[in-house]
Amino acid sequence: MSELVLEPFRLPYMQRALAEVLLLGVLTGVAGVFVVLRRLAFMSDALTHTVFPGLVVAHLAGRSLALGALAFGVLTAVLFTLLAANRRVGSDAGMAIVLTALFSVGVVLVSRQHSYTSDLTLFLFGRVLTVDRADLVTTLVLAVLVLAVLAVLGKELVLRAFDPEGSTAMGYRGVVLDLVLNLLIALVVVAAVKAVGTVLVVAMLVVPAASARLLADRLAGMTILSCAFGVLGGWGGLLASYQLSVRGGLRLAAGATIVVVLVACFLAALAVAALRGRDGAQAAAP
Amino acid sequence: MSWLAGTFSDDFARRALVEAVLAGGLCGVVGVHVLLRRLPFLTVALAHANFPGAVLAALLGLNLLLGAGLFGVLVVLVVVGLGTRDRVEETSAVGMVLAGAFALGVLLLSAQAGFTKDLSAFLVGSILTVQRSDLVATAVTGTLVLGVLAALHKELVLGAFDRGGLAALGYPVAGLDLALVLCLQLTLVSALPAVGAMLAVALVVAPAATARLWTDRLGTTMVLAPCLGIAAAVAGLAVSQHVRAAAGATIVLVAAALFGLSLLLAPRHGLVSKLRRSRPPAGREAVSGDAPERGTAPAAR
Repeated sequence: MSELVLEPFRLPYMQRALAEVLLLGVLTGVAGVFVVLRRLAFMSDALTHTVFPGLVVAHLAGRSLALGALAFGVLTAVLFTLLAANRRVGSDAGMAIVLTALFSVGVVLVSRQHSYTSDLTLFLFGRVLTVDRADLVTTLVLAVLVLAVLAVLGKELVLRAFDPEGSTAMGYRGVVLDLVLNLLIALVVVAAVKAVGTVLVVAMLVVPAASARLLADRLAGMTILSCAFGVLGGWGGLLASYQLSVRGGLRLAAGATIVVVLVACFLAALAVAALRGRDGAQAAAP
Repeated sequence: MSWLAGTFSDDFARRALVEAVLAGGLCGVVGVHVLLRRLPFLTVALAHANFPGAVLAALLGLNLLLGAGLFGVLVVLVVVGLGTRDRVEETSAVGMVLAGAFALGVLLLSAQAGFTKDLSAFLVGSILTVQRSDLVATAVTGTLVLGVLAALHKELVLGAFDRGGLAALGYPVAGLDLALVLCLQLTLVSALPAVGAMLAVALVVAPAATARLWTDRLGTTMVLAPCLGIAAAVAGLAVSQHVRAAAGATIVLVAAALFGLSLLLAPRHGLVSKLRRSRPPAGREAVSGDAPERGTAPAAR
């Protein structure tokens, strides 16, 4: 049994991949709690798409991918804030347009390259197995930064999530807090992009936190559970992908397997919550 | 004019032109309803969720659009089911289904050879390779969707503005919601060969949002949105032919550019006119705009 579970991680590239997904599991677990509480799933999804052209530009210019992603993440956060100010458009429509437009910029740029399709899939789905030491350091630095800011501003952000008027009345600047949170999510996306790709980051942000919310009533408990789900999904996904590919002869993309394991965890949490009767059916008729 | 004629001289380009007109018009009309109901995120989610259906259909040798359509319906039901639960927020449910379904598609596809090429065709479309059968499929679904939307127009609009009122009048609210979402799903699937899953979202949302900047009346929006959609699709196609870039993505960029320009220049809701209005009123302002509208405008901001 231990052979089945531990043996894959004797390989150096699997060790690096494991370190990367464990880091990301903790990071997205904590950040995801805020995404779920503030209902920012669409925002995260939009950010994961708009970071894509940044990756392409950085790749073409020969610069660091993280830098390009960061620039476009900040650009997106600013554009969203501007569009949300126009009441006629509505923040969700504005987001959908920014999302698809920036994504298209990326596609147009990539489509003029020779290695069109293979580059496209790399950016979209990542290659966790080719993560190197420098990527790990980048992820670690970003994770420490994001977690530190969340630790400092956690109380204010939670207050804003549950009682926006109260938060404003106490003198906190709502727009600034929102911008900070959006920028933090952008940083998480940047950290995760090389490993799981732009499209699947949103799963790592939303699914563990939503699973934890099913089981925990307190914020601290929800955060810890969310991290646990993130770590479990990362480790289980890597393991399943490796074992099935090597022994089963079934080639499975590592990033996608991680997401499928996370979703399986969510379904288990849903079942447990239903058995404990916490997900009350009486609330079905609001 | 001869430039345009030259661009669309061969059969591929002419079929692509027809598809662009059909998809642009259909998406434009559906988009007005999407915006009224604030469904852009659901649109993005559906576009992603069609993916595993298409992959499954390809593996089983079924019709691609049929597979995507059926799977999409399944996803709609899951989203609606999860969203009614107490502790799962609707946005989280949509986000989760989106990512989960997409990952499932990637997983299925990664087990196959020829992974990357199919995937990019699905995501960003390949309008230049549409077949006559694709055109017929788009035309048929378009007629069906437009027919349903026209027949249910009054009820759908009432539901967007006053759900309680609709329920009080005895209409089946949930049934109407489902009908609209199914129409959206059909539209996305029929636009799939042309612009791909991701970018169909842009054709649905951007023209409708642009039209809403130019007019306050729903009837005018309903006419303007498909016109803008068709204009964006045709112009994007022509530009992509000349600069040799991916056609679907160029169409989206044209649609987004139209939106951006309108955001700046639209008569009442544009940034320029807002800036002008925020200055102390000059004498000439009394000439433009009707009195009650001006009275409400500052309050709205």
